[in-house]
Amino acid sequence: MSPRTSPPVASIPPIANKSTKAGRGFRRLVAALLTLSVVLTGSYAAISIYIATQLVYPPQVPLYATPASLGLQYKDVTFPSREDHLQLQGWFIPGVLPNDGLTAERTIIVVHGNQANRADKSVGLLKLSGAFARRGFAVLAFDVRGNGESPPAPRSFGYFEQRDVLGAVDFLRAGTLPYPELGRPRVIAGWGLSMGGSALILAAGHEPAISAIVADSTAADYLPILEREVPKGDHLPALFTPGVLLAARAIYGMDFSAVRPVDVVAQLAPRPLFFIQGGADTFVPPANMSVLAAASQSVPNAHVQTWLVPGATHSQAYNTQPQEYVNRVIAFYTAALGPDTGAT
Amino acid sequence: MSTVSSNARGPVRGRSSLWESHTFRGALVGLIPLGLLAGAVVLTLVITVLARQLVAASGFFAQQQAALITLIAGLVVAIVVYAVALWSIVRRVAAWRHDGEQAQASAVLWALCATALVVIVPVLLALLLPQHPAP
Repeated sequence: MSPRTSPPVASIPPIANKSTKAGRGFRRLVAALLTLSVVLTGSYAAISIYIATQLVYPPQVPLYATPASLGLQYKDVTFPSREDHLQLQGWFIPGVLPNDGLTAERTIIVVHGNQANRADKSVGLLKLSGAFARRGFAVLAFDVRGNGESPPAPRSFGYFEQRDVLGAVDFLRAGTLPYPELGRPRVIAGWGLSMGGSALILAAGHEPAISAIVADSTAADYLPILEREVPKGDHLPALFTPGVLLAARAIYGMDFSAVRPVDVVAQLAPRPLFFIQGGADTFVPPANMSVLAAASQSVPNAHVQTWLVPGATHSQAYNTQPQEYVNRVIAFYTAALGPDTGAT
Repeated sequence: MSTVSSNARGPVRGRSSLWESHTFRGALVGLIPLGLLAGAVVLTLVITVLARQLVAASGFFAQQQAALITLIAGLVVAIVVYAVALWSIVRRVAAWRHDGEQAQASAVLWALCATALVVIVPVLLALLLPQHPAP
């Protein structure tokens, strides 16, 4: 028989042809590989899905006090978020003029940080809102979705929460305000802490009515922080993080890779921006402020201020230097928004 | 001479192409479980998104439950479909081997081998791809 008549040697080696034993061995190897791959990938998917559900919804923290505890007038407000219409709970605190009159002319939307609420005791948020009000700025402080008294929702570090900020702007411009005699705000500004700063910056990218922003302890990009924190929080190897983020996207529709304030800040010019950062912050390290400031200043008409607070850990700049904090922030808002016409 | 050689090449080409077509068919058959698995996973993700949007008005917990149930049920169905397809193909391989269709049987096994590698790729990528260093 000529060699030409036998089938040519092909790219697929006919292992099963060599001997029954070898063929059986190969079949077992393939079966083992198939089982191993399904078990590993299935377990990976199951663990990722479980962690994703834990990551996005921590327990909501109840409020510990109201502005009345500071001797301030305020009213409870409810307004819908933009797009998905979640009913958010908040306080409207009118600004107090030097003659003790009330004003809503310059209103600051206060956006708290992750897993907190509009009063957040650990960072002194209620006191800070009170300080703004006493210096003549009305405050709209509200619980971001999934926090405080607002409806349960997945936390997304600004991806969904920006809709809440936009809802607050809509409320101030067109909602039923609790002090109708004060009229609507002439100007709206924002103050955001950590995740709140991120939500505020992302929202301001869609909403020019936000005239000035103070972002305290805000990350330039949240994905690297999640990639660092998810394994720490769940005591799992870092290889689960991509699976968790993917599962969060499948289950909740959130895209953490889109939470990049650094991509938005340059668009906000010429609106004034003030970045504050704790010098001892290890959760959002100070380099984030430098990155945000550099990105903001990449356009010619930018107005950017920064303040690195020595010794302050994450979100603790106000608690570290309360008086200096209020003075700097009020000076920024006054320069950015102008004086209250009722006070002059 | 040329006639002889021409006559000799005819059956060789015929056998070769027959062998190749058996191998090709075997490889295709071997990839059926992977195709079914991929289809089931894609379908699961699409249904999960739809379920999430359908119950969006009912609140977060309803939305989470709907998405989770759909996702887990879909993944279980995907794994069952995959396992049944594998079992059926392994039986077919045994039958082909019994009938002496070794090329086809070998091709199926190599395709299943490739399937196992593709299925484990997500875990390997998660393990090997560098993550973004936090500033």
